[in-house]
Amino acid sequence: MSVGTYSERPGAKPGENDGFSVPWSRPRPKRVVISVRLVSAITILMLLAAWTVSASLQLVSPVFLPSPAAVWAKFVVVARDGFVDATLLQHLVASLGRVFAALIAAIVVGVPVGLAIGVSRIGRGVFDPLLEFLRPIPPLAYLPLIVIWFGIGEPSKILVIAIAMLAPVALSTAAGVRGVSRERIDAARSMGATRSQLIRHVVLPSALPSILTGLRIALGAGWSTLVAAELVAATRGLGFMIQSAAQFLVTDVVVMGILVIAMVAFALEFVIRRIERALVPWAGRE
Amino acid sequence: MPHLVLDKVSVHYDGQPAPAVERVSLDIGKDDFVVLVGRSGCGKTSLLNVAAGLVEPAWGKATIDGRPITAPGPDRAVVFQNDALFPWLTARENVAFALRLHGVSADARARRADELLSLVKLGDAGDKRIWELSGGMRQRVGLARALAAEPEFLLLDEPLGALDALTRERMQTTLLDLWGASRVGVLMVTHGIEEALVLATRVVVLAPGPGHVVRTFETHFGRRYAAGEPIRAIKADPVFAAARADLTDAIFEGEAA
Repeated sequence: MSVGTYSERPGAKPGENDGFSVPWSRPRPKRVVISVRLVSAITILMLLAAWTVSASLQLVSPVFLPSPAAVWAKFVVVARDGFVDATLLQHLVASLGRVFAALIAAIVVGVPVGLAIGVSRIGRGVFDPLLEFLRPIPPLAYLPLIVIWFGIGEPSKILVIAIAMLAPVALSTAAGVRGVSRERIDAARSMGATRSQLIRHVVLPSALPSILTGLRIALGAGWSTLVAAELVAATRGLGFMIQSAAQFLVTDVVVMGILVIAMVAFALEFVIRRIERALVPWAGRE
Repeated sequence: MPHLVLDKVSVHYDGQPAPAVERVSLDIGKDDFVVLVGRSGCGKTSLLNVAAGLVEPAWGKATIDGRPITAPGPDRAVVFQNDALFPWLTARENVAFALRLHGVSADARARRADELLSLVKLGDAGDKRIWELSGGMRQRVGLARALAAEPEFLLLDEPLGALDALTRERMQTTLLDLWGASRVGVLMVTHGIEEALVLATRVVVLAPGPGHVVRTFETHFGRRYAAGEPIRAIKADPVFAAARADLTDAIFEGEAA
């Protein structure tokens, strides 16, 4: 087959002036790419250094700001011997237990509620205003009411956390359900799926990435409600530990508790991201 | 023999001042490959959705074997431009989806799914995840999935529209092979003039404002391929070029050149 006027340029040597690259143009200097992680690490180190310096120069009284060394020493002591009748691990387990119990409650209630909002006008009419009402109320505001209604036992504490988790779970589920593509639904309907099969086999799996995002947000919200939930009649828990320490001005335990709460939140975020990647590997790849 | 019939069908969407389609009649037999072509807005997809039972006609009747079409059903499988596959399932599980809905045992449906996958030349891709497949492969999984329910009619809404030109060309013969092997009636919507000619036994040209039929061409190129003639020879035939010119004229008829 002959191809008209096209001919390959024979024997062009590499480096030969091809009329496009100008011989006097210098290669552009490589741009230095700054790693975000590196900047973050430096920021944290700077803060730690500032903290250490101000503590060692006694710029602030140790009652207000204990030194990093003192906080670390306290961490070791509390981890080994405990504080207010429980070791750090026992406090941590108590708090995690409450948060996970609340998470399960929030899933059991929130996913069906979100599904109802997403698939039915009536469900949306009923639940949307309730969630919008519940969402902006700070936990400390409804805590007294819950104590009056349900007493000072463990259920009240879990309920306080679960309420904070409910809205993110339900709203993310609803958003995921509403985002299911029309074509996917129509394809399943044309294969003879009934309404309940459609929800089980198409809608819920399609919404799963969004539901998991909701769980991640909920876990953050629940964890930050911890201190409020442990305000009343707790004998264990990280929030309870911080409050007791604050009452006796044991500032190093307060600071240590805050750091532990932050660290656990960070670890939870990491774990749930891993779970997301394992459960919905298709998210973002469709 | 089953017939999918649209009888003087008009489609009028809520809130629209004018109907999208007015008095269009189609009759698709079990051996037909009917292709709808026409400029944007001529109501091709609306008609396909009426046949699928996804859109209700404002006037006129849509029937299959004399029964009115009121909802989607397993006798009419739909394949969309975007494959609409389920990414949480493997290719095999996607193909077996309809069988699972109807309670077929896991063994039987895996066997049937593998048969269908090899029919679309994806015999070894059963365990692959959907996002690991190329666009053409995904569309082939979509076709296999549509055939799993053993429909009488296949409704294809620009099934090759999202594919690159080369894959598209190869998929045309895959479609013809499938049509030949499974003996289903096909109603397909496309923008491709050549594609319409290659595949169809009948090309229906629609024009917009509101959508109506301008011309109908009986063609035979698909049957020639089915009889063993290579696709390139068919496309190189002067008869093909002439048909192509006629069809192009019909589509742009009444529009300032």
